[in-house]
Amino acid sequence: MAQIALFGLIANRMVKEAVQIEAGGNYFHFYAAGIVITLLYSMAVFISYDIYEEADHGVIEYLLSLPISRRELVLGRAIGGGLRSFLYVAPLMLIVLLMIGITNPFRILIAFAALFLFAFGVSGMSITIAVSIKSHDRFDILLGALNAFIVRLSTTMYPVAFMPEQYATLAQFNPLTFAADIFRWGAGLEASLLANPFLSVLGILMFFSVFTFLGIIFYERQLEGGGWR
Amino acid sequence: MAIIQTVDLTKKFGNFTAVDHLNLSIEEGEIFGLLGPNGAGKTTTLLMLVTVIKPTKGTAYVDGYDITREPDKARRLIGMAFQDPKLMWVVTPWDVLNWHAKVCGLSSLERKKRVKWALTELGLWENRHKSVHTFSGGMRKRVEIAKILIQRPKIAIVDEPTTQIDIVGKHRIWNMIRTLRDEGSTIILATNELYEADLLSDRVAIMHKGKLLVCDSPKKLKDSIVGGDLIEVILEKEAPKTLIEELEKIDKIVEVLVLKPNHLRIYLNRAEEILPQITEFFIKTHLPIQSIRMSEPSLDDVFAHYTGLTIEEAEKR
Ligand SMILES: Nc1ncnc2c1ncn2[C@@H]1O[C@H](COP(=O)(O)OP(=O)(O)O)[C@@H](O)[C@H]1O
Ligand SMILES: [Mg+2]
Repeated sequence: MAQIALFGLIANRMVKEAVQIEAGGNYFHFYAAGIVITLLYSMAVFISYDIYEEADHGVIEYLLSLPISRRELVLGRAIGGGLRSFLYVAPLMLIVLLMIGITNPFRILIAFAALFLFAFGVSGMSITIAVSIKSHDRFDILLGALNAFIVRLSTTMYPVAFMPEQYATLAQFNPLTFAADIFRWGAGLEASLLANPFLSVLGILMFFSVFTFLGIIFYERQLEGGGWR
Repeated sequence: MAIIQTVDLTKKFGNFTAVDHLNLSIEEGEIFGLLGPNGAGKTTTLLMLVTVIKPTKGTAYVDGYDITREPDKARRLIGMAFQDPKLMWVVTPWDVLNWHAKVCGLSSLERKKRVKWALTELGLWENRHKSVHTFSGGMRKRVEIAKILIQRPKIAIVDEPTTQIDIVGKHRIWNMIRTLRDEGSTIILATNELYEADLLSDRVAIMHKGKLLVCDSPKKLKDSIVGGDLIEVILEKEAPKTLIEELEKIDKIVEVLVLKPNHLRIYLNRAEEILPQITEFFIKTHLPIQSIRMSEPSLDDVFAHYTGLTIEEAEKR
């Protein structure tokens, strides 16, 4: 953590004036908001490690035997994972908001609602991947690759104008971009990517729905006790 | 109509068949024993019924719901206490049971009442706020059993409920299982303990290597054993094969099972009349007897009748 913050400070000095302007005046604010979102994402992904641990201890069989539908189980897990990550990141989120200065409480509320959904969606995605590949080792590798890809190809660290053109195109469809943008918009940072913040909300909503839905399907189709590594 | 009906229920793990075309029919309100040595496929069968694992072939109907087509509906009727207690992220018995009761949809008032009752009955009340990770195997097992006693599902599955539990605790759990049945649950009891199966079950299915050997009431199963009595003889030396053949020729002896080379189990009629004859036989053949014992057939003899092995031996293989 300390290292990331330090990197942020150094980066702030190094990044050119042009970027400062693109980023809405203060790159450090821009970057701090990005860190919050990256952290939220990483924490929400973490739910899968719970699932692997449960598999190791056989708890998964207990969960699967409970008198509830798979849909309830997956939604419960995704919401639980999302909520937990949100709670973990909340202190940092508040510090960053205070640092940037809250200008519009209404915007913040919208941003929070969207970020809740984002965290649930990430947990849902994480569950989907964990359940469909069932192997702790392969999950680690895949997650590493996915993280590198999804974080780099988003506006969490750099404004879209500062990216190579192909990157920028992809970044526009990245849920992490949506989340970072909506957070910055909520905090009153006039960030650069989306003219309309509601597109971000819409994107997050779609992301959430797709992965919760996929999570349920995979739970139903793939998952059974035993056979996990 | 049967509350549970399995139809050619089969589970393979790779090439290994753990459950092999199982056809069982369980009546509402009975305690149904599933008896077999370790590895017989009991747990695998139960996990399929509770929809935790999926059949490779065949299916089962739980109160009319096909477990492969409507697993959500089937699952809602069942509660299972696992063979290996499943610990969770919540660690005290109080929290484990409350969480379970909550997921099962009990109101907070009912929850408190039942959790308290179960913890008290099972002698866990004093330890309700201690971490289950510090518990002995027997205590964990009791927490596991408490789950279904609280849940009171329509169909309650208990997988080896009293292993690692002392005899007083066993009797307490057996009584609670009976009470659960009397309150309206159908019970499926998987066990490798003959006495437990015999004592509790209205009917017993005996499994071996994934297959059903036989299914009936314990009494009928025991009565079906050839020869109404049995004598166990332990010799000081190994008995040669020829000798066993000769022994079987004695009138009223129906079958001789060689448990170990020096340990014979003799099925026969009117044991008390031929006992002297048998003792004499061994003296004549210069095989000193270490011990001799007369007893009634048990479910083990039913198992032995079908497999040529006692359950204990079957577990060693
Ligand atoms: N997940 C699994 N993968 C591979 N083999 C398994 C698995 N679960 C059980 N088995 C095997 O299936 C057989 C039956 O096991 P089980 O149903 O646990 O028997 P029981 O409960 O009667 O002791 C055993 O030989 C066991 O090793
Ligand atoms: Mg078992």
